[in-house]
Amino acid sequence: MRVEVLFPEICNLSGDGMNIRYLHQCCPALEIVETTLKDRPAFLDGGVELLYLGSATEKGLELMVEALAPHREALLERIDQGQLMLVTGNALDALGRYVTSDDGWRLEGLGILDTHAEYHMMDRHNSFFLGKFEGMDIVGFKSLFGHTYGADDAAEPLFAVEKGVGRFPGAAVEGFRRNNLLATYLTGPLLVLNPPFTKWLLRQMGAPDHLAFEEAAMDNYEKRVAEFREPGRDYMY
Amino acid sequence: MGKLRFLLALWLAKLSIPALKITRHNGTDFPGSLALKLCPDFLRYVGKPGTIVAVTGTNGKTTVSNMLTDVLEARGLRVLGNRFGSNIASGISTAFIRNCDLLGRVRRCDIAVLEVDERSSPRIYPYVKPDYVVLTNLFRDSIMRNAHPYFIADVLTKSIPAGTKMILNADDLISCSVSPENPRVYFGIDRLESDVTDCINLIDDVRICPRCSGKLAYDYRRYHHIGRARCSQCGFASPESDYLAAAVDFHRQSMVIRENGAEYPYPLITDSIFNVYNMVTVIAALRQLGFDHGDIADALGRTAVAETRHSEEQVGKVRLVKQMSKEKNALAGSRAFDYIAGRPGRKELLLMMNCLGDTHHWSENTCWIFDADFEFLAHESIAQLVCTGARCRDYKLRLLMAGVPEEKIVCEEDEFKAAERLHYTPGDDVYILYGTDSLALAYRVYDRMRELALQHAEEKEAEA
Repeated sequence: MRVEVLFPEICNLSGDGMNIRYLHQCCPALEIVETTLKDRPAFLDGGVELLYLGSATEKGLELMVEALAPHREALLERIDQGQLMLVTGNALDALGRYVTSDDGWRLEGLGILDTHAEYHMMDRHNSFFLGKFEGMDIVGFKSLFGHTYGADDAAEPLFAVEKGVGRFPGAAVEGFRRNNLLATYLTGPLLVLNPPFTKWLLRQMGAPDHLAFEEAAMDNYEKRVAEFREPGRDYMY
Repeated sequence: MGKLRFLLALWLAKLSIPALKITRHNGTDFPGSLALKLCPDFLRYVGKPGTIVAVTGTNGKTTVSNMLTDVLEARGLRVLGNRFGSNIASGISTAFIRNCDLLGRVRRCDIAVLEVDERSSPRIYPYVKPDYVVLTNLFRDSIMRNAHPYFIADVLTKSIPAGTKMILNADDLISCSVSPENPRVYFGIDRLESDVTDCINLIDDVRICPRCSGKLAYDYRRYHHIGRARCSQCGFASPESDYLAAAVDFHRQSMVIRENGAEYPYPLITDSIFNVYNMVTVIAALRQLGFDHGDIADALGRTAVAETRHSEEQVGKVRLVKQMSKEKNALAGSRAFDYIAGRPGRKELLLMMNCLGDTHHWSENTCWIFDADFEFLAHESIAQLVCTGARCRDYKLRLLMAGVPEEKIVCEEDEFKAAERLHYTPGDDVYILYGTDSLALAYRVYDRMRELALQHAEEKEAEA
């Protein structure tokens, strides 16, 4: 059972790398394949249960798009065939149509998701997030240069917003889901913070849904869900 | 109109100084804040000394600017600085206000040494044009404020004036990338016995060649991306140091500075690599300012490096250690954890690097915890880890993921009760790790730890 981590040399910001480490601790039988910018991605040949793409710098996003562009059609085909893929943080922007920034920078994305991002480089967005996914509570954080402007509900969302900022301020939904492509703007250790979601993901992969350090992970998760839900607690930093 | 507004802002800001003194608030940035509120381009008009040195970077900027100021003052120069204020625009404005006359002309200052917050650069450098920018290093800092070090490098490049001479760390390829068109010199430290080639840290931000994106190979690496790298694909390599610390000997407390093929002896006034970097940075800046090696060595020999982030004392049968580990900063945590694990003896740790400010109204973004090398804390010499504060469960989970056995971990939300859970085993070093946000509370918890350490010692004596 293989997990392919795309471009770990650049996609490693905000503690994102801990998602796959935790998954591996939950299921030590997983084979973790790390594909660098110069390698041929393993998913092209099949046999990858989960594809993972994490946060990067703006230059990293450019390199990510450059490395995936020759395989865009193949990736799209895999996604439409049901390839399980998790995308966290600003890596979502590489899959969108384009990114513009108030400092003049522009990135043409892969156009796999019908959305575009707008960055404000000196006005960083920081918030916490509480949402729903298939009946589960989802918690996480956003620390980003901007938002993604896809339709509020037309494209299939990943999470429903309960408290916090969705795709953009005021949106009712967060992230995108296209078959088994799960793309969220939440940064960092999403799987560590959300043990029920991790169990669900393990089941999708066909792996046993056993969690590493389950008691401590659930205790932490339940405390955070309750804390985020407190009425006096504002989600904006 | 601009000048009139400036004068009005200056006079009101100056008037606020005695008022603040009377109310015992004289250490604040209020005069600068007021001046900037009344005149946003206040720094454009205020008088400046003939030479301006700005010191910036993620770590070490306070130490470097203080050491630089100490040496310059010891050599008889009158230095304008923001040592007692903040390093953002208001703190720097306050420093200028305190050193100018009623017409805004600088008085009795030969040189300015300004510690500058990297992210504040766009508000400062358009008006205060430094002759030299000393850049200590660029690492990941707060994800929330600084995003990533390449963003900060970009902010600096866009802000630093074209003619400013850069004094850069050759061992840090991120800071080397700042203001590429500016004139520049480099400092660095030669290979050390403790250096490695592969990165053992989670944060490793220079893995690929900035020119061709090929994998970089390190001739030697100190920690994270600090070291000497080269690209086998395009030939890119770290720059050579104009001022290279070599023959660094912590036992003999000596080193040499290699410059243009000649070697100059220096005393080593520290036992940490971080502070050797700070020393070399100061030496490079002073050489650029025209000082002789002999004079610099002499002045540095009489200067102390302030160890504000670490202190220890024997209390009863244990040694209590205060160790700062800045919250929201994975790199600071990693360096502190590595340092603690490497020290001799058995240790007990109280982890309280919580963001107290976020506790009640927001909820701390804990992503940084998963970037920090908690793996160092799985060291066998660490006998007990007590996690406390609002984020104690996050620490516990992260420690488990790092390989710390569960039986060594205690999770107690209340900080004072957490202090009671430490064992205070005779002979142990008992640490409290805290950030700037939890400083005041940490000191109160530390006082409780002192009481408990004495109590435990008395109980042991009674038993004996």
